[in-house]
Amino acid sequence: MSQTLICRMINRACCRNNFNYTQSLLFSNERILSNHLGLRNISFFNKLPAEDIWRGVTAVSNAGKKRGRGKGSGKKVAKDLNKGQTIGFGKCGRIWPGLNSPLIRGNELINQEKLSENLDRENGILKLRDSMGNFKMMKLNPIDRGWSGSKMPGRSIGPPDPVGDEEFISFDTRVLENKIVFIMKGNMGRKRRYSVLSVTGNCNGLAGFATAKAPEVRTALRKSKNRAGQKLININLCENRTIFHDFRTDFGKTKIFCFQKPDGYGLVCHRAIQTICNVIGIKDLYAKIEGSTNLQNIVKAFFIGLMTQRSYQYIANQTNSNIVQQQKTRNKFIDVKGMPILNSTRTRITHEVDYMHFTLGNQMVLKRKSTVPFYFYGKGHNLHKIKAERFRNQANVRLHKLVNLYA
Amino acid sequence: MHLLRSLRQLNGLQGVRQAIRQVSSAPTKPSALQYERDPQPLFTDAETQRLLQSMTQLNLDKVYRKRTVPDNSSETKFMSNEQLDNEFQDLVVRAQHMLRMPPIVQIKKDVERVIAKDPALKDFANSKFVFTDITFGRRQSERKVFVRETDGTLAYATLDTTKRMNQLYFPLEGRQSYTPRMFALEELLAKCLTEHKYEFILDRLLVQYEPHEPEFHNISARVFEHLNESKQFDLLRSTRHFGPMAFFYAWHRCIDDLLYDMIRRDYLHNAVELIALSYKLHSIPVEYQSTLTELDKLHPTPAESALAELRSVFRRQEDKQNIEQEIHTAIGKTDSDFAADEISLKFIEQYIASEHSLKKVQLELAVQTLKEVNREKLLLFQGLKKAHGVQAS
Repeated sequence: MSQTLICRMINRACCRNNFNYTQSLLFSNERILSNHLGLRNISFFNKLPAEDIWRGVTAVSNAGKKRGRGKGSGKKVAKDLNKGQTIGFGKCGRIWPGLNSPLIRGNELINQEKLSENLDRENGILKLRDSMGNFKMMKLNPIDRGWSGSKMPGRSIGPPDPVGDEEFISFDTRVLENKIVFIMKGNMGRKRRYSVLSVTGNCNGLAGFATAKAPEVRTALRKSKNRAGQKLININLCENRTIFHDFRTDFGKTKIFCFQKPDGYGLVCHRAIQTICNVIGIKDLYAKIEGSTNLQNIVKAFFIGLMTQRSYQYIANQTNSNIVQQQKTRNKFIDVKGMPILNSTRTRITHEVDYMHFTLGNQMVLKRKSTVPFYFYGKGHNLHKIKAERFRNQANVRLHKLVNLYA
Repeated sequence: MHLLRSLRQLNGLQGVRQAIRQVSSAPTKPSALQYERDPQPLFTDAETQRLLQSMTQLNLDKVYRKRTVPDNSSETKFMSNEQLDNEFQDLVVRAQHMLRMPPIVQIKKDVERVIAKDPALKDFANSKFVFTDITFGRRQSERKVFVRETDGTLAYATLDTTKRMNQLYFPLEGRQSYTPRMFALEELLAKCLTEHKYEFILDRLLVQYEPHEPEFHNISARVFEHLNESKQFDLLRSTRHFGPMAFFYAWHRCIDDLLYDMIRRDYLHNAVELIALSYKLHSIPVEYQSTLTELDKLHPTPAESALAELRSVFRRQEDKQNIEQEIHTAIGKTDSDFAADEISLKFIEQYIASEHSLKKVQLELAVQTLKEVNREKLLLFQGLKKAHGVQAS
């Protein structure tokens, strides 16, 4: 079988190549045989050394790197497939005298022999390969985590570096955005840099934000942190915890509606706004974003909104009417927040103005109608409600029982 | 496992022990101080009510203090001056409503009132039947409840059964069908008292019990006695319980501690009212009406002063600040206050000298210190007035 195949190949070679070459081949018949056996299946697996093949899988080409490919490089590691393998032992268990067993045992000559299949060996090798070269995620303390995993956005990068003797005491900087950006250069072509947007503040009404770009992430972080420290803005806080009044603000296509909230409400808003509020020292706020949620625009719009807040006194003077706050915790006690200075004796509201409409600039938040689930009017749900009715007070009764049993 | 079981058994035993203790030392045991005759006519008397209200005072910040509510949102509004003034008046009216005192009435005794005895119905059923009138909109006190006993007797239900039936069909929010642990266990009530949670106890008491029930009398008496020892009277000021407390002390002739507190805090007109109340309750032949009318002329009622305080926001915005008012706010007293103090001090000294006061030395000392402070204030007041060229009165 093999003889005929080799002959056919030689014939084909004869047809293709010149006569001299054929002649030389014919003269050294022994060499031809061994050479041509290795050429049967030509692929990069048997053309290239293992090192090169692995590099092809795990690394990125230089050109690819320039284009920003291979972000996960380092995740894939070359595996040594030879590990756990020995010559003579393979998939089909066989005794090869002289290879994996002695030729003679006692007076007997050992013959080639097939053994029962050994699955354990195969599984063991696979397990070994799996354990090899697996990428280990960086472990991060839960407190230090940002918005998502070990990604930079949301993470703290410490206070800005001191300028001369001036230190940024009690400041904290948080990253809001960390991305790769490109520009075209005349001589270098597409040039890649990291752009970092961060916000810094002292949790007491002093805050600033800045974007910075640098070829390295670490440099970009440091640059943006220090730049943010140079652009501090003073923001007055109402009762040291919230905003002075509801307001609407926009930047580009981003529109934000912010609402003043009572003590203990917390921050119910976009995560970027939450981070900014934490850094500024705002504790209670509800914000609704309409339109684009571009991060840079959100930050800018929110800061503009905070800066354009007006005091109660200012609004009272502008509208020529008293501003009164009624808290439900104080049983609707009248808390006079602002009184107009001028025309105090003739303060009269000529037209009906709602305070919230006024502060939001006559805009309203789109409130979606609450929809009931599809099964709500169904027969089954009705039945369920009837059945569940008798247990409606069960939780309370249980609780009461527990309270009374407590000794 | 065995250990666990034995532990559990021990716990069970403890529960039993506690239950025994609960029964033996229930805080509802009759207190030493009881109303021996019906206090209701004297309590609901218009003059008494006026005195008690005046003593309670009306501190709006305390009445409208922060409380825990399910919805803690706030509302901001534009208001004209007229609207604001109307709201202020409404605020005072609401505060007065919140300060309405729970009545002090005699303990109601159970009276057996049999309607019919039908021996033929004997052993018809082996349980009692309770019939309740559940007509909508009827008051709890006029709701009729009857019981058919197993021996065939039809009678009006006892007060306890009536209350239970009312609670069953028309539940009052906050009232429990069983005695709250706070009132059942001695140590829990004692803990509340040592922590000075007087208002909390009294509020809960008011929700749980009717004013004519013995528990109400016993527990409230206990709270007032504890208060008299701890002398934290200010905790109840501007709450609805201050009036009943003052009435309790006046009735049982132990006003001296409260009086001392009032003098120390410079509430002299309140002290006069307290003495007058005790004179009135025990019909002691001392003329107090004239002093009271004189003081009333000089002193605004709590509601009036609260409203004036609220309206001070309008005054503040006026361009020219009244210098006389500024002096008044700096010192805290006006001409009429000094005049009123003189009259009240005379009346109080008269009381201290009489045989009715029990802690004479203490009270005299307090009056002396107050007098000195007042004298200094008066000198400063007059000096300031002279310096600013305000006509001295």
